Amino acid sequence: MEPFDPVSENLKAITRRHFFQRAGYGIGTMALAALLQEEGLLAAPAQQPTANRPDPLSPKRPHFAPKAKRVIFLFMAGAPSQVDLFDYKPKLNQYDGQPIPEEIVQGERFAFIKGTPKLLGSPHSFAKHGRSGQEISSLLPWTAKIADEIAIIRSMKTEQFNHAPAQIFMNCGHQLPGRPSMGAWLTYGLGSENRDLPGFVVLLSGVNNPDGGKTCWGSGFLPTVYQGVEFRSKGDPVLFVSDPPGMSRQARRESLDALRDLNRERFRLVGDPEIATRIASYELAYRMQTSVPELMDIRSEPESVHKLYGTEPGKATFSNNCLLARRLVERGVRFVQLYHRGWDHHGESQYNDLMNGLPRLCRETDQGAAALIMDLKQRGMLDETLVVWGGEFGRTPMNEGRDGSKFPGRDHHPRAFSIWMAGGGIKPGITLGKTDELGYNVVEDPVDVHDLHATMLHLLGIDHTRLVYRFQGRLFRLTDVYGNVVKKLLA
Amino acid sequence: MRLQHSFLQYPLGMTALLLAGSLLFAANAQSSRQKPARPAPAKSAKVDFVHDVQPILKASCYPCHGSEQQLGGLRLDTRAAAFRGGVSGKSILPGKAKESLLLQRILGEGGKPRMPMGFAPLDHRQTALIRRWIEEGAAWRENVTARKHWAYVKPTRPPLPEVKNAAWVRNPIDRFVLARLERAKLTPSPPADKATLIRRVYLDLIGLPPSPQEVDAFLQDRSPDAYEKVVDRLLASPHYGERWARPWLDLARYADSNGYEKDGRRSIWLYRDWVINALNRDMPYDQFTIEQLAGDMLPGATQSQRIATGFHRNTMLNEEGGVDREEQRWLTIVDRVATTASVWMGTTLACAQCHDHKYDPFSQEEYYRFFAFFDNSDEPTLELISPEEAKRRADLQQEAAVLEQRVKANAQDREAADRLERVRKELAAIQPPTTLVMQEKPGSGPPATYYRIKGAYLSRGKKMTAATPAVLNPFPKDRPVNRLGLAYWLASRDHPLTARVAVNRAWEQFFGRGLVETTDDFGTQGRPPTHPDLLDWLAVEFMEPSVKRPGARPWSMKALHRLIVTSATYRQSSRVTPLLLERDPENRLLARGPRFRMEAEMIRDNALAASGLLSRKIGGPSVFPYQPEGVWDVPYSGDRWTLSEGEDRYRRGLYTFWRRTSPYPAFMTFDATSREFCTTRRVRTNTPLQALTLLNDPGYLEAARGLAQRMRREGGDTVQQQIAYGFRCCLARRPTPAELARLERLYQQQLRRYQADPKAAQAFLGAEAEKPENPALAAMKVVASVMLNLDEAITKE
Repeated sequence: MEPFDPVSENLKAITRRHFFQRAGYGIGTMALAALLQEEGLLAAPAQQPTANRPDPLSPKRPHFAPKAKRVIFLFMAGAPSQVDLFDYKPKLNQYDGQPIPEEIVQGERFAFIKGTPKLLGSPHSFAKHGRSGQEISSLLPWTAKIADEIAIIRSMKTEQFNHAPAQIFMNCGHQLPGRPSMGAWLTYGLGSENRDLPGFVVLLSGVNNPDGGKTCWGSGFLPTVYQGVEFRSKGDPVLFVSDPPGMSRQARRESLDALRDLNRERFRLVGDPEIATRIASYELAYRMQTSVPELMDIRSEPESVHKLYGTEPGKATFSNNCLLARRLVERGVRFVQLYHRGWDHHGESQYNDLMNGLPRLCRETDQGAAALIMDLKQRGMLDETLVVWGGEFGRTPMNEGRDGSKFPGRDHHPRAFSIWMAGGGIKPGITLGKTDELGYNVVEDPVDVHDLHATMLHLLGIDHTRLVYRFQGRLFRLTDVYGNVVKKLLA
Repeated sequence: MRLQHSFLQYPLGMTALLLAGSLLFAANAQSSRQKPARPAPAKSAKVDFVHDVQPILKASCYPCHGSEQQLGGLRLDTRAAAFRGGVSGKSILPGKAKESLLLQRILGEGGKPRMPMGFAPLDHRQTALIRRWIEEGAAWRENVTARKHWAYVKPTRPPLPEVKNAAWVRNPIDRFVLARLERAKLTPSPPADKATLIRRVYLDLIGLPPSPQEVDAFLQDRSPDAYEKVVDRLLASPHYGERWARPWLDLARYADSNGYEKDGRRSIWLYRDWVINALNRDMPYDQFTIEQLAGDMLPGATQSQRIATGFHRNTMLNEEGGVDREEQRWLTIVDRVATTASVWMGTTLACAQCHDHKYDPFSQEEYYRFFAFFDNSDEPTLELISPEEAKRRADLQQEAAVLEQRVKANAQDREAADRLERVRKELAAIQPPTTLVMQEKPGSGPPATYYRIKGAYLSRGKKMTAATPAVLNPFPKDRPVNRLGLAYWLASRDHPLTARVAVNRAWEQFFGRGLVETTDDFGTQGRPPTHPDLLDWLAVEFMEPSVKRPGARPWSMKALHRLIVTSATYRQSSRVTPLLLERDPENRLLARGPRFRMEAEMIRDNALAASGLLSRKIGGPSVFPYQPEGVWDVPYSGDRWTLSEGEDRYRRGLYTFWRRTSPYPAFMTFDATSREFCTTRRVRTNTPLQALTLLNDPGYLEAARGLAQRMRREGGDTVQQQIAYGFRCCLARRPTPAELARLERLYQQQLRRYQADPKAAQAFLGAEAEKPENPALAAMKVVASVMLNLDEAITKE
């Protein structure tokens, strides 16, 4: 693909526009003709359905040659502890149990911590892995195996320290609901490459839905065709995709044939192009009824794949969803987002402390995430698939000790946390950024949420300042008025 | 921020969204450019720089050639710099348009990129204005305040325009519409046929379809005012308030839960019912405004007026443990300011939270002065308890206190302990409904708040007392400077925006698009009105009715609606002729009647009405119709969706429990909103998920079954009669012979299938027992489902 050239791009736009000006007013008469022909509504030679049916989800050209064509975002909702997983802090271990210096926490707002908290070293060990020698916790033995594939960012920061606003911020670039999520922005900007599936798919596992609710994958002020569609592990994989009991596929086809004939009849009479679109939507729905269940049925995968991912067909596990994510991007879905909730390790009880809760969450997610990278790589898809792993904020280097709890745990921490990225133009095997010796503040190469978004968009061939939508009198972007591409992450 | 251009920047045409898709990016680029509301100056008048040219330069040139940056060394926002030119030389040569680089670049001449680069080019009219301005000497008036943007000037009643085809006109609306059509050399469409018209007006006024009997009565009524009689009956229907509450509840961001992580339930349905009742009583819009914004502050505020203030209690509430409560309170006021500005003023005042508004005349300081009006309220819960119940509770509480003392004194006092338990039980059983309201804090003088530097909560600036923006009407002298005064200021006839914004929103409901398409932005960045004089005439007429017509009184919403639906404009056929598709595909000029997909709740209500299942009960706590398992699964909450019993399963959509983090999926698929924030207009999409919902959602299958039963019960003896009857239940009109034949063929196909496989029929019907009539009913249910899925069945034609 040729690099984006604003001038030639603009000229092309003008040429198209002139065509439409001649052809009619506003709406594309050609677009209409193509659609009507496809649906057999114009007296035209019989034509096969075309691949480029005009559609808000049809593929669109990015601004410049992209490195990645699709994204899988593994959202670790609840916020994993960076100092126990990716940001090794020997000094923190050394000062374990001592009160944190007053000057560090003066004026700080915490979610739960009261008074002057005590530092808490990591009870888990770290080791260097791979040729790159990335430092990874012993809690993540599978991730250790992909150390040379991933870029670890230890210098993430955010502005929010409560789950829902922070998750919404991480997804939408703003802490208040109302803006489109990054998946919605991407499908708006790039469309989808599969006509039979949504462009933006969401898969959920873990104790329950993310705190930010469906706003995390909402379309905000963008048209709702761009919102994330939940593929469910129980019941209908997509709501209402199954025919009701007692209705066979043939009967469904027959009823849709009647519906189509009647809609065509109406179209002939009233001439509203919306009717033609409706006809097309029903046909796509019919195809989805086959393509979605086929996609969701992971039993067809060979045993070796199941072994790699640790999948358990029929269950709502993170591993299953990782495998589904691969199946979805294989089919051209633009943005797949997995949520796994349960990382909120405050240490109020044994269930959510660092000794039991954190290792359990690592066991639930470690293998699937690593297997996904290995599998994509082995299939030659990793180069063009951007994978991001991370939560909405980090956790305090101090023990929370809520109500004198004996169980070690950490409070919410927006000032520093770790994520990793892989594939799709990311420089593999590097660690970016540095926190202070206690892991409290970022001291080198800070990356904020807008920077992360700008970088992701850049890898997808989009200039984040130019992916815009006019709403309430002004142009909006995913990155608001901020964001810098993190060049050091680019391969 | 410099907003750059790209192929991605243009908003999609919402209604034609899926149809033209990506190609619309190019096509719409043209239509989305600002077209000044002001008509082009007559050929004789000179082009005026301030009114005609500067706005074009400002919108299209300043971003790259203004104060922030001067690409190519060119700056066009001051006279001296503009005439000096840039690196390519002088840009403006007075009297020589052709030689002026400004015009050459705008036209893309000389092999250079066309300006504004990357943006859609200026339209024909704009280039013509610039050409004429240069030809006429390029007079550049500086230091002149540009005339106030039209929307900030109080509307005055424009004269009714002359039209050629006066016979077509039924009321003044038609004059404005027809004059515009005649200018465009278009003619209005013929009137819609009666069956289409009665369905249209039923859907618009009460949101429900007419029954076949009601259609017949209308068809048979040959009196000249047959239609007006229907209109008046519908305006008096209690379902009118339900239908019109729906868009208002989107504005009010009404929901039954708090939002965010825990998203716990809240009780505020009394506010929803207040809206329905107010609309049914045709409460004048000024009063409707005052009671919702400051009902609690009215002298001797009634319970109902206090309930009305729930409008601004519909803000979200984050119950996470770590929330900074003062910051949260502040955020709710941010939301109240944005919502008030959107709902009453069609203004994006929220832009001025962090900096002066970039396009409209609102400073950041004015933002915080407006904010101050809302920064003096408590947020109590109002309990609706009857005097008897209140006394009973007080008595019980007293008794409980005495018993507690006795038990405390003597742990062995079994009698007291038992009685205490009974009394507590009885106390717990007293559960009067509650609702959330506003309550002003006592204090004297105008409320104040702190300015926030760059809009950040933590960066407090100086203290600001309450005041309204200077560009708008002055604050009424006889009103207190507080929230109540603000409400009076908004509801004043002097306010340039309140009435315009309200009539425009009503227009949008009827015609699918406002006269100002950007219902939430009447500022300089919004779309100018397609019919500016009609908008102003309607706004003035809304406030001060002049036309003798039934029910006409100031600020009457019913009178406004009546005026619109009795116009010839509204009564046109909605057929999209090839000519209209070519000339005006979005029907901006209104040469035909409206035709667009119904909104989410209306689709549900119609299916239920057609099937005969609909409950007509009005008001009360929200209900839980069928929803698939697992949709509600929210952190830290054991709350579960429990299917309602009896008729509550079949209530109108606006009574469905609205959980913000997990709204009702069948509504969201049809573009409903999460109600987390104020939504002034819903987009309309057309997607396969909608198809799947209508085909397979058990709620719609239940409606199909109900309809099938109704067809067989009420439709007549033959299958043909039954199908024709069901068709009329869904669409009001009779099927054509071809349509009837096609549906009958489907019926016969399915009948054969189900006769061959009675088990399938049983499964499809969900019937407990195998019955001989099952195959016929199952086949009819397939037919009914197809009818409910017809494009026409979910479209207002």
